[in-house]
Amino acid sequence: MSTDNAHASVLTPSEALPENAVHVKGPDLSKPIVLQDLLKSYETIGFQATGLARAIQVVEEMRKQRSNPDEPLTLFLGYTSNLISSGLREIIRFLAQHKLIDCLVTTAGGVEEDFIKCLGSTVLGEFHLDGAGLRRRGLNRIGNLLVPNSNYCAFEDWVVPILDQMVKEQEEVGTKWSPSSVIDRLGKEIDNEESVYYWCYKNNIPVFCPALTDGSLGDMIYFHTYKSSPLQLNIDIVADIRRLNDMSVKSKKAGMIILGGGVCKHQIANAMLFRNGADYAVYINTGQEYDGSDSGARPDEAVSWGKIRAGAESVKVYADATLVFPLVVATTFGKAHWEARSQDGKKNPE
Amino acid sequence: MAEEEHHETFEAAGAGASKTFPMQCSALRKNGHVVIKGRPCKIVDMSTSKTGKHGHAKVHLVAIDIFTGKKLEDISPSTHNMDVPNVKRQEFQLLDIQDGFLNLMDADGNSKDDVKVPDSEVGQQIESDFEAGKDLMVTIISAMDEEQAISYKEAPQGS
Repeated sequence: MSTDNAHASVLTPSEALPENAVHVKGPDLSKPIVLQDLLKSYETIGFQATGLARAIQVVEEMRKQRSNPDEPLTLFLGYTSNLISSGLREIIRFLAQHKLIDCLVTTAGGVEEDFIKCLGSTVLGEFHLDGAGLRRRGLNRIGNLLVPNSNYCAFEDWVVPILDQMVKEQEEVGTKWSPSSVIDRLGKEIDNEESVYYWCYKNNIPVFCPALTDGSLGDMIYFHTYKSSPLQLNIDIVADIRRLNDMSVKSKKAGMIILGGGVCKHQIANAMLFRNGADYAVYINTGQEYDGSDSGARPDEAVSWGKIRAGAESVKVYADATLVFPLVVATTFGKAHWEARSQDGKKNPE
Repeated sequence: MAEEEHHETFEAAGAGASKTFPMQCSALRKNGHVVIKGRPCKIVDMSTSKTGKHGHAKVHLVAIDIFTGKKLEDISPSTHNMDVPNVKRQEFQLLDIQDGFLNLMDADGNSKDDVKVPDSEVGQQIESDFEAGKDLMVTIISAMDEEQAISYKEAPQGS
């Protein structure tokens, strides 16, 4: 082979770049930079930084569309139970407290850990702590977080009388319980402003949990069947699937933010089918698609099923939600909330 | 309903003996007695689960109603008290069978005629053995205002 051939094959001439090509560039840290500007600079860093910046843009668009007078957007937020164990609980509570979301979907731990935190703390530990040793000490590990058994005992003492009362109402008044109405009731009973579900109760934000029994709450419900026998608490999941799907159907526009995978991811996406797909979707998770799991599926897979509209704005950020979600909320809902508050302050000086 | 329970628990039974007494669940033992769903039972199986994500340590009880033989189950936190029935067994001499009731006499010569022939295999055997002219001693078990003949044997000869 001649050197000319080699030269030609290595240095093939480029086609002209499109005019609107985005040039990769990072932030200049030689000057002080505020959070908003730093995150803006992520757009041109590349890889997941660009993904995060894109997620922020889509979430900001959803936030604005929620108050669109003609076609208000209904925002569905899904998250796994570990995130309520983590400090993301306070961010989700902020969203619920200020009515910035319309619907939550989670799993059993995502419900009970919020109430348990009102009764006892979850504390920081280490990922490497020995399981057998923790078992002896009565500590349960969630990643690098620890929950003492005593928290679950306190939860039992709190929740069992409420279960008694719910069975009583079922038998005497004919109340038909569903996972969302159980969560609403627990939110009312906890009567604690630190709780996500207290605010959901206050603000009429439905919380869906199709797998409500898959956690400590399910353990309590299981034991309670022995206590209440021959009566038994009945929780109707059909009532909830109708309520959730109706919400999706009746939404003028719909957006979803999903942190993690499993039930919370698919249940929202599935509900979107009935409106021919979501208009906006942001996924934040570490799942991979090569095993065919829905948890790892990119938004485009949901497009194939009709769960996300073709041409909808969607992005998947491959990241631990605890790293990313505080930044997303701070630069969108948080920023808007602070700005509104400072304007209120100017209008009504104290 | 609560009032009924109250009534049941505290009404005096017989000569000052209460019908039940409380015992911490963790102190219950297999083959001992316990009240489940208001029924006096004998514990046939017990297991415990340690304190954990399900809350307090739990004791799982499988028991047999001492009168009906029906299996009952309960799960209770191990620190909670459960009622234990006062169960009494007494042997009587069988004098006669009248209208489905056993005519009994205790060792001191007091008669007792208010226990039915049990509707069971034991009952049939008592009747047939009695009709065959055998001298029988019947064991009556009593708990929580219920009594029942649970077993019998032939009286020792010459007594």
